[in-house]
Amino acid sequence: MNAQTIGRSILPLLGAGVFLWTAAPSAGATQHFEKHFPVKGHPVVCIHNIGNGRIEVKSTKGSEVIVAGTQASSKVSLETENAGDRIDVSANIVDITAQPSETEVNFQLSVPEETELELKTQTGLIYVEQVIGDMTLQSVAGDVHLKEVSGYIVVRTTHGSLVCAQCAGKLDFNSVSGSAQLLQPGLTSVNLFTTSGNILFDGDFIRTGIYTMRSGKGTVEVHFSGNDSFDLNAQTMSGTVDNQAEAYLKPDSHGMKHMASKFTKGLFGTVGSGLAKVELSSYSGTIRILKRD
Amino acid sequence: MQCKEVEVVLEQEGWTPLPEAARDHLAECRNCQNLVEDLTAIVATAHLLPAEVEPPARIWVSLRSQLEHEGIIKSPVGAQNSWWHNFSDLFRSRVLASSVVGAMIVAAVGLQIQHPAPATEARNVYDDTATVLNADEANLDQMQLGSSVVDVSLRQNLDIVDKFITDCETRVKEEPGDDLAREYLTGAYQQKAELLSAMMERGGSVN
Repeated sequence: MNAQTIGRSILPLLGAGVFLWTAAPSAGATQHFEKHFPVKGHPVVCIHNIGNGRIEVKSTKGSEVIVAGTQASSKVSLETENAGDRIDVSANIVDITAQPSETEVNFQLSVPEETELELKTQTGLIYVEQVIGDMTLQSVAGDVHLKEVSGYIVVRTTHGSLVCAQCAGKLDFNSVSGSAQLLQPGLTSVNLFTTSGNILFDGDFIRTGIYTMRSGKGTVEVHFSGNDSFDLNAQTMSGTVDNQAEAYLKPDSHGMKHMASKFTKGLFGTVGSGLAKVELSSYSGTIRILKRD
Repeated sequence: MQCKEVEVVLEQEGWTPLPEAARDHLAECRNCQNLVEDLTAIVATAHLLPAEVEPPARIWVSLRSQLEHEGIIKSPVGAQNSWWHNFSDLFRSRVLASSVVGAMIVAAVGLQIQHPAPATEARNVYDDTATVLNADEANLDQMQLGSSVVDVSLRQNLDIVDKFITDCETRVKEEPGDDLAREYLTGAYQQKAELLSAMMERGGSVN
């Protein structure tokens, strides 16, 4: 493929638009922006907010992506790239003297229900509701709230916490001091790791699901239902295991023979037929296991 | 076929279908099964990382040299592409060198855990990881780090991770066989590498 052919293939796509939002009347005035991107299939939307601000994503029945919001000043520029169903929006600081409050950009996105997302911000909330698709969400100090989303969900924060309500699919969460709350999840794979945050899982374990929840210094708390079926392995190095569901846990009668490590304390057991696999651990925090009423 | 030979095959052939002898060995050897599982997990995780700026070529040279020095990889024979080239391609577009080096050494630590080694040898690998990360942390002093909420949060969380690493290192030195402490130490090193990477990205290059 020669350069001319490549040019013919790519230019029409990029022709849709690498452009710069420069409408910025005054440095201090908050301004509103809104852009519509028609899409055909399942779009991929990337928002990279290098300054601060909130990113809110909700789904609609339409076949377009609407990127709207406000920017605090013209010391931030918005760059977009739209190639086919891929939409990239970056909020970049153009004036290095800008104060944090002047770099705030808040995004409100409307996307088709089936959309892939890659969202990155520094301090604002990331909120996603009723979107189906793989998503990677990153924040330093901002929280991440998800409601009724499904897909392969990857969340990375430094300090921000995750609240995931009625989520489905697979979830991978990693944070230094952020906490994670999973409420009424329909997740088949969960991998949570936080160094000092807390973890709460309140919901059902899907049969054949694999759930790994680890906190270095925080509390790991699991509320399961009486109908659940899972093998449980809870281990802590120097923390405590508070098992308030002893009546429901019976010795693991199938599969591998579990050998307790001499370096940790904890428990192995089975609830129901042991169809899902649940592994809880902490370094010095408390592990609490409860059955919901 | 022995474990070492399987490692050589994996190193040189990558994920192409393995020779029958290697497959037979794998079917019966738990250590090699763990090795393959680890490599698969690392590659899968690498595919999930977002693409960013390309690190300088010198990083690949020093990284390769470090891994060769530790005997984790060997120089390729002939002109055939080894799995290492494919593996490094995955990381070619990643962020700062420090985090890559840190993450790779952490991966090496993971492999070390799967291949039971004398406690002193395992400790040396952790020492190498700590040295690289501490050197990167020292470089932060040369940067003009900001005082925004984000910068403060990054510094506070680096402090949290540093303290946790100290706890875990002490524990691993006292009880080298404590797998849970090793697992948390590895996770903490990874987080430290990512934090340093984010801080360097915000503070600019030291070079």
